[in-house]
Amino acid sequence: MVENDAFALLAVFLIPLGTAVLLMLVPSKERSLIIALTAASSLAMFAISLYVFLTYDFGGDQFQGVKAWDYMSNVGLLGDEGIQLKVGVDGIAAAMVLLTGIVIVPGTWVSWKIQNRMKDFFILLYILTAGVFGTFVMLDMFMWFLLYETALLPMYLLIAVWGSTRKEYGAMKLMMMLLAGSILIFTAIFAIYAEAGLGTFDMVDLYDVGFDEDFQKLYFPMVAVGCGILAAMFPFHSWSPDGHASAPTAVSMLHAGVLMKLGAFGIIRLGFQMMPEGGAFWAPALMLVGITAALYGAISALRQTDMKLMTGFSSVSHMGYVMLGLGTMNVIGWTGAVLQMFAHGVMTALFFLLIGAMYDQSHNRDIPNFSGMAKQMPIWTVFFVIAGLASLGLPGMSGFVAEVHIFIGTFRVYPVIGGLAVLTAAITATYLLRMFSQAFFGEFNPRWSELKEITIAERAGATVLAGTILFLGLWPSPWVDRISTTIAQTIPGVTL
Amino acid sequence: MIPLENFLILAGILFATGLYGVLARRSAILILMSVELMLAAVSINFIAFAAYLDGEAFSGLIFALFVITVAAAEVGLALGIVLRLFRERRTSYVDAADTLKW
Amino acid sequence: MEEVWILPAIPFVVFLVLGLLGRFLPRNGDGLAVLGMAAVVVLVGFVLADFQGSFVDDLFHPAAGANTYAFDWINIGDGFFIIEFSTYVDAVTMVMLPVVSFVALMVLVYSIGYMRGEQRYGWYFSALSLFVAAMLLLVVSGNLLQLYLAWEGVGLASYLLIGFYWERQSAAEAAKKAFITTRIGDVGLLIGIILLWRATGTFDIQDIIHAAESGGIGETYLTVAMIFLFAGAAGKSAQFPLHVWLPDAMEGPTPVSALIHAATMVVAGVYLVARMLPVYNEVLIARDIVLYTGLLTAFMAATMGLVATDIKRVLAFSTISQLGFMFVALGVGALTAAMFHLLTHAFFKSLLFLGSGSVIHATEQQEVGHLGGLRKKMPITAITFTIGSLALAGIPIFAGFWSKDEILHDLQKDGPLWAYGVLAATAGLTAIYTTRLVLLTFFGEPKDQHAYDHAHESPPIMTAPLAILATLATVSGLIAFKGVGETLGFVGGIGEFVVAHGEPHIFEIDWVFAGSATATAVAGIVIGFMYWGGDARRSIAARNWAPELHQLFARRYYMDELYQAFINNVVLGAARVVAWFDKRVVNETGVDGGTQLIGFLGHRLKFLQTGRIPNYALGMALGVAALAIVAIGTT
Repeated sequence: MVENDAFALLAVFLIPLGTAVLLMLVPSKERSLIIALTAASSLAMFAISLYVFLTYDFGGDQFQGVKAWDYMSNVGLLGDEGIQLKVGVDGIAAAMVLLTGIVIVPGTWVSWKIQNRMKDFFILLYILTAGVFGTFVMLDMFMWFLLYETALLPMYLLIAVWGSTRKEYGAMKLMMMLLAGSILIFTAIFAIYAEAGLGTFDMVDLYDVGFDEDFQKLYFPMVAVGCGILAAMFPFHSWSPDGHASAPTAVSMLHAGVLMKLGAFGIIRLGFQMMPEGGAFWAPALMLVGITAALYGAISALRQTDMKLMTGFSSVSHMGYVMLGLGTMNVIGWTGAVLQMFAHGVMTALFFLLIGAMYDQSHNRDIPNFSGMAKQMPIWTVFFVIAGLASLGLPGMSGFVAEVHIFIGTFRVYPVIGGLAVLTAAITATYLLRMFSQAFFGEFNPRWSELKEITIAERAGATVLAGTILFLGLWPSPWVDRISTTIAQTIPGVTL
Repeated sequence: MIPLENFLILAGILFATGLYGVLARRSAILILMSVELMLAAVSINFIAFAAYLDGEAFSGLIFALFVITVAAAEVGLALGIVLRLFRERRTSYVDAADTLKW
Repeated sequence: MEEVWILPAIPFVVFLVLGLLGRFLPRNGDGLAVLGMAAVVVLVGFVLADFQGSFVDDLFHPAAGANTYAFDWINIGDGFFIIEFSTYVDAVTMVMLPVVSFVALMVLVYSIGYMRGEQRYGWYFSALSLFVAAMLLLVVSGNLLQLYLAWEGVGLASYLLIGFYWERQSAAEAAKKAFITTRIGDVGLLIGIILLWRATGTFDIQDIIHAAESGGIGETYLTVAMIFLFAGAAGKSAQFPLHVWLPDAMEGPTPVSALIHAATMVVAGVYLVARMLPVYNEVLIARDIVLYTGLLTAFMAATMGLVATDIKRVLAFSTISQLGFMFVALGVGALTAAMFHLLTHAFFKSLLFLGSGSVIHATEQQEVGHLGGLRKKMPITAITFTIGSLALAGIPIFAGFWSKDEILHDLQKDGPLWAYGVLAATAGLTAIYTTRLVLLTFFGEPKDQHAYDHAHESPPIMTAPLAILATLATVSGLIAFKGVGETLGFVGGIGEFVVAHGEPHIFEIDWVFAGSATATAVAGIVIGFMYWGGDARRSIAARNWAPELHQLFARRYYMDELYQAFINNVVLGAARVVAWFDKRVVNETGVDGGTQLIGFLGHRLKFLQTGRIPNYALGMALGVAALAIVAIGTT
């Protein structure tokens, strides 16, 4: 990646922002113009994110495409480099940018059938997307937090206006819990700024400070909990199933697919990279939280009958794996954790896309109400089975690649926890296959004979996601190389 | 020269009277008059201190002028509100205007 | 031999082509599937010849395998953590490859007749190709993680094919049960693999074996790891206590049962233990667990086979029992006997399943209570089925006799005497239930006239594979003899080909032993004739002789009920508790409770907001006074 690629990084979050502004100027009656604009914009984002991922040179520097524009300097306590618009990616961020690019494309496509205020929906969705992209590429702590919040806040309106079932409750709960997390992050950011005393929010500079150990031990958990809430970390996961259950399809996809990863990404960026000793000190606790969440989410999912709630708890379980991997403090486990972030993002986006496609027609998501759906919607079923198999960690699918790294990383530290993690994968198989045999197979329930097969746009979107699942599952080295070299060379305290 | 204490005592009495009026009176007009009393007390303090401490410094006097200006503006605004209140409720008692409670 | 990776690649390509483009191909591309499989069989022949060439150069050397590395799939830390794709070929592989490819070819040809006119005809061939690809990948895998990948692949194919008739709820349930049960075993397998990696830093099977043999791994640690590994094998090979899925798996189409649930996939566990046998030889506790699990399973499944009434389920119990035989052989370290039995069993059991498929195809009945007397209507099926049964029962000349005899012989030599007694008795039971099945299906009077009238001999495309497999079920046992092996171009009999402990074993007939085994088998057949050979009253008497015992066998030792109760009460109970905890404690108390507390406080505190100006003014005055006091106090 050359220096001018900084403009690609800048573009990747300015495009959705610009699209949102343009959309404000378009009259809402012009549906086809809105569709054309969002189609072009989503494809541009996908192309750029792919470019960013592919050109990231895993033999080169840690951060690539770095460039800074002054935003505010020499004011008050701020020094020369006070607050900057500083972009740059490492291997982890490059993978996350690609993930966002992959999820936004089908997310856009499936939203074209929204009838109620489609323009406003896209404006908010693209502001959210800009926040997500920005968070992944920002290297300035202040801007990072600003965009982090930009990614969260549209969520409330998106759920409360376009959601379903208990949407006000879900939206309010999600917002309240996430903002509570933001308070912790915000506090920690300013504590870090003050403690360093450099007068800059530049993360790269701050990484070299070497904070006092007591400071790290105090503030690491603050970051971990604050960001962990967004990553649905047990016991702060409660917003996730309800929020996902009430959100509209594209929002569920983006949220479970990408936003939850922002939390884990924050733990890496602000937690482990900023405060490595604090991270090492709290790593066992993180593992404990991770395995608890994994088991807890999986066992809870066994009892759910609402498809979206089940997927929500499944997400809690899978994000538990991420925490588990981060807690191992070795490269294998960490690589697994980042791979899991990617794999879970794609897989869960596919889940929500399919559930949404069916719910739009049937207005019902209760598993016991369905039977033999494979007869009525065979293509839908095939995609669902692919997502399910990826979720239960079948080799050849993305989930397995990630999980096997996490398991092995865990076994290197605590074999018993590793054993429990492997067991969790079997529980995952149980709840998914229970749903399959109940809802997809068996005698067809004629109540649903009105349902139609998913639309072309949904099929195309599902193909993109399923293709990614299989690609990562069969040939993971493009991801593994980028991620593992970044981790091995640059994350302090994480060893082979 | 009249001792400073006398001014202060006068201001204190005026201020206390004003405060009592604000807290105890129900009529909006009387409350406004009480507020004026309190402002007058403050103005007397300013002027007295300005005269006694340093004859050259005008800041106390200027503050007193400001207080008078603000008081005039405030009365103009407040009387407008009282007038509206009277039109709405046919009374100038402030406890008639308690719709903004819980 | 380096290009052995082509073998799984061919059916995989077929799977992709059929899966994506199948509906555009003539007859949904069944011909392509058969053609691909035939190509694999031919290539296996080349590999075998190639392997023989290397074998003659390096006679009797057990490490005559060839390990060829294809590429690194994952490489972290510049070689610190590598998952590579590699192939490994040795004598054990060379037993598996012909069996898998040949039986698969027979089954595919047979399926053209059996599945004709079925819904999802193309999907059937596609999924079957996926299975063959995964199975071939499994047997040529050079490292454990790749083996695990293929292992789950065959599991997936099995899931898809058991659930082929997914409109039937029972089929969907059976598929789910099979997948989850084997998955529980796979948890053990993956743990075992990772534990071995943790100790050795490699997934390569040969490297692990060397490390274990050189004593590089602590004995307790290795024992635990190998027991976990065996859990995976037991799940896949339907050994106690994970055997419950296989009888239900008979919901799939019958050719699938023949290929996957009799000849190939279920022997993957045997293959795994055989592959890791040098390691098991280092930790005898783990090996003994293999032995006794196999013994218990062999006996239990045989008793269950005695009373089952569904023709396919009898065969399924028989498969479980015969797999137990193979594990018993491995449990005493008899690699040759196990692989030999695996080979013969694959032929005669796939023959039996395909024969039963022919019956089901003709009569659309699979309960023996509706069959009978079919030998007149379906002579070829009857004859080939009987041949298969004789092989299963262990009558001399037929293949099963030689291999079963080997197992019993090795067990008597290296195992405890009582175990030998149990296994010999099981062999007798095998003869009894086999005879019962043949008699009830093909002999006697027709019990269901409608089904009988409906019956007809199957078309040649189905009977031809039966005839070929019947031939193999008859003669394949003879490869035990040195002379036969040499005539075929091998170094000798199978004892000299598949070598354990580095010592070739030249087969000789122990006349006393063989005689007693034959006597057991014949006695079993005689007993079978006594009870089911015509007079129905005797069979009813046999059932009523000990109704509790009959009930115990027929209800499969209540294992299914036990598991169901366990799932309902313990697993779902735990899920209920956790879901309750999440809903009430975490959500309603923690999250909603927090908001309610704030709401409650707000509700109380709002009364401070009276709306009266004097109250606010008082508050202001008090505040100013308080500030003044603070200010004076501090100066």
